[in-house]
Amino acid sequence: MALLELQEVTSGYAFGPDILQSVSLTVDEGRAYCIIGPNGAGKSTVLKTVAGLLRPREGQVLLDGTSIGGLRPDLVLAAGICYVPQDRSLFPDMTVKENLVMGGFLQPDRKVVSERIEQIFDMFPILRSRAGQHAGTMSGGEQQMLALGRALMTQPRMMMIDEPSLGLAPQVADQIFETIASLRQMGITLLLVEQNVLRGLEATQDAFLLDLGTLRLEAPSDRILDDPRIRELYLGRQLQRGTEAETREN
Amino acid sequence: MSEVAQVMILGLLQGGVYALMASGLTLMFGVMRIVNLAHGVFIIAACYVAYFLFVGPGWDPFASLLVTIPLFFLLGMVIYRSLFPRIEGSQRFSEMTVLLTFGIALVVEGFLSYFFTGTFRSTNPPYTTDAILIGDLFIPTAQLYASMTSLILLLALWGFLFLTRTGYAVRATMQNRTAAQIVGVNVRRISTIAFAIGMALAGASGSLISFLYPFFPNSHWRWIAILLALIVLGGLGSLKGAVVGALMLAVAAAFVSDMFGATWAPITFFGALFLVLLIRPQGLFGREARV
Amino acid sequence: MTRQRVEPSVIAVERGPSRRRSRGPLAAVATIVLLLTLLPLARPLIGQPYNYVLQIGMVGLMWIALASSWNIIGGFAGYISLGHNVFYGIGGYASGLLLLYFDWSPLLTWPIAGLLAVICGFLVGLVTLRTRGPAFIISTVALLLMVALLFDNWEFVGASNGLSLPLPPFSIETVKIPFYYAMLLIAVGSVYLSYRVAHSKFGLALRAIAQDETKAEVGGIDTRKMKVTAFSISAFFVGAAGAVWGYSLTYLRPAIFFSIAIAAEMVLMAIIGGRGTVAGPVVGAILLVTLNEISVSQFGSTELNIVVTGVIMLVVLLFFPMGVVGTLRERGKLPSILDWD
Repeated sequence: MALLELQEVTSGYAFGPDILQSVSLTVDEGRAYCIIGPNGAGKSTVLKTVAGLLRPREGQVLLDGTSIGGLRPDLVLAAGICYVPQDRSLFPDMTVKENLVMGGFLQPDRKVVSERIEQIFDMFPILRSRAGQHAGTMSGGEQQMLALGRALMTQPRMMMIDEPSLGLAPQVADQIFETIASLRQMGITLLLVEQNVLRGLEATQDAFLLDLGTLRLEAPSDRILDDPRIRELYLGRQLQRGTEAETREN
Repeated sequence: MSEVAQVMILGLLQGGVYALMASGLTLMFGVMRIVNLAHGVFIIAACYVAYFLFVGPGWDPFASLLVTIPLFFLLGMVIYRSLFPRIEGSQRFSEMTVLLTFGIALVVEGFLSYFFTGTFRSTNPPYTTDAILIGDLFIPTAQLYASMTSLILLLALWGFLFLTRTGYAVRATMQNRTAAQIVGVNVRRISTIAFAIGMALAGASGSLISFLYPFFPNSHWRWIAILLALIVLGGLGSLKGAVVGALMLAVAAAFVSDMFGATWAPITFFGALFLVLLIRPQGLFGREARV
Repeated sequence: MTRQRVEPSVIAVERGPSRRRSRGPLAAVATIVLLLTLLPLARPLIGQPYNYVLQIGMVGLMWIALASSWNIIGGFAGYISLGHNVFYGIGGYASGLLLLYFDWSPLLTWPIAGLLAVICGFLVGLVTLRTRGPAFIISTVALLLMVALLFDNWEFVGASNGLSLPLPPFSIETVKIPFYYAMLLIAVGSVYLSYRVAHSKFGLALRAIAQDETKAEVGGIDTRKMKVTAFSISAFFVGAAGAVWGYSLTYLRPAIFFSIAIAAEMVLMAIIGGRGTVAGPVVGAILLVTLNEISVSQFGSTELNIVVTGVIMLVVLLFFPMGVVGTLRERGKLPSILDWD
């Protein structure tokens, strides 16, 4: 059943023009989705609008059928949707542990928070070994793991991850995508934005193609990968570039 | 040698109060990117509160802390909620806040001068003329009390920031506003609290300087210029920077005042500011591109 | 509802210098300048309040010059200077000293005062413009208070008592006329400078800096050079205005020139009129000078005058951040006579 639904959502940054124009899309519980499209298509804007960082100017954002559009970010989070932004948005002057503690901010019981931190440490042993280090001093891959770990602290039903592999070396990106695969196994609904189209599609079941703020196509990820016409029409160069990048990486 | 120690002590005692004033200002910038040009005028307004409690019911300036702190806390909540949400999200938000608080400063200053005229005032509780002598070191009692109180208030601020859940949220918001939002911090609420705390610190400072430095409505510009210089020096938004900067510069200013006369003491702050801008534009404890 | 508010500088860039200019506003402005030039000749028409009218005219022209000059750095480049009256004071004292020591009239030496202000602006700019945003504003506040402190204690310029200047060698009936013409020249010059900057590549670079300095830098603009240049040239007419104003008062005192209230007025006028537009500061100056006259005659006290200034500032910032010209233009209602961009 539909977990998240956007109905003709128009949105944009404060004092700026509309970025999304009447976008409608549905996300079913337990599935993994990828939003693809050229730069400036509004991919991140979708995530920010759902997360409550931007207020939809028109249209509805529904979670389990109730409107969450325009709700404060902390209330959206409490409702079970968590967002990992492109820049990872860690607390640079806090330690890894403190970042995780902040991840459990909505959980008032300190004991529960400690237990969850232990679970995160089991999942990402590297974070345990860096527990006392300041987040700002870690490598890109470690920071991304911390961002994912911190997001998991909220025990979300759905995670929205923006460009998880951005700026990471290929092997590190592989690791991140393994983690993302395991999130799927945990039953967390996923909504990814990924600049590496090939990777993004391979990691998900369905895809939304955005262009200039409108939804152009909605299809199973593997069909987009396999269908030469769609590749030609919408992704032509982008996918090629992605493929080239892949080959270069390998 | 003992003269050097004497000047050091006087400088440190002043620095304690400066640190209290500057910490409120830097907290506001750190959490909300607000440059509060009205911080000085609120300090002076608090001086008047302390003054009238002193000349009226005869309250000691330290007792007036019980009024100024909660009063200015509430005032801070009201001002923040009524003015700042309107300009939130505008690009160049910090510049907007400078202009907005400039307007507030003019309004408050105008009312203060209208009601209380431009005459110099100060509270003069009995200990203002007392001093403690240790060897041949001379420690003015009033300065000592004031900086001890500042220290206690700063410790309380530290405890709040590092030991409480709300304090964690404040620090998180200072470090990365978006990050704080996405872990579930209600940044609007945190901003209101931080602004109110900053104002409460201004209120407390007013009570303390009411017997240390004579004041009149227009004198807030001198204070705000010094405080702004201090927080730029320490790195905008850095509490540690504000406190260390305040202590260092107050000592430096005490030496300048000892050598060239009290008139020139404020030059220390401005001179140091321009020197630091030349060498390290982000301030002593600031991070690159923090602004 | 789509709520779109665009920052003033954004509009400014969109309507770049390449836009065709209509002749309408030019003719209108020329007419206004001509009328202002002829005003002192209309003594029989004005009658009794002749000196008062010229005095108000001079004050208005002075504020036009100050606000327009401030707008070059504060409006076009987006670097808000709260210490610009430092140059006002430097100009005033420079010409005053030339009068005292060499007997050169400030009515002639104001260009020298302006040049000295430019040199000071250049040196100050080199230091303060190393910072951006709030840190820059703070450094200008610090600059102002530091210079005020220096002049307050510098015996050579009479410290806080200031300097008395010899009375201008004119009769009481005609004394206002030369001052009025000097200010008219300065005001026209500063508006013309602002216009030329707005319609130059340099002005475009400043607007790019105002929008996004990092992008401007990446785009190959030598932002530091542009900013320092803008800061220095914006000091010229401020210094010049200070020279003429000081002489018209016949005394120079730090409190007159280095009060932060002067900076507040400059900023406020530019904002009320429309920051980053050529006509804005002119409109703002006229509005505020008129309002000040009314408020002083109504309340009589300067204290409440400050309150009024502050309240206007708050209202404009909260409700019309683009100012009169910017707001009217956004709504497509800007009369062509004010469309100088």
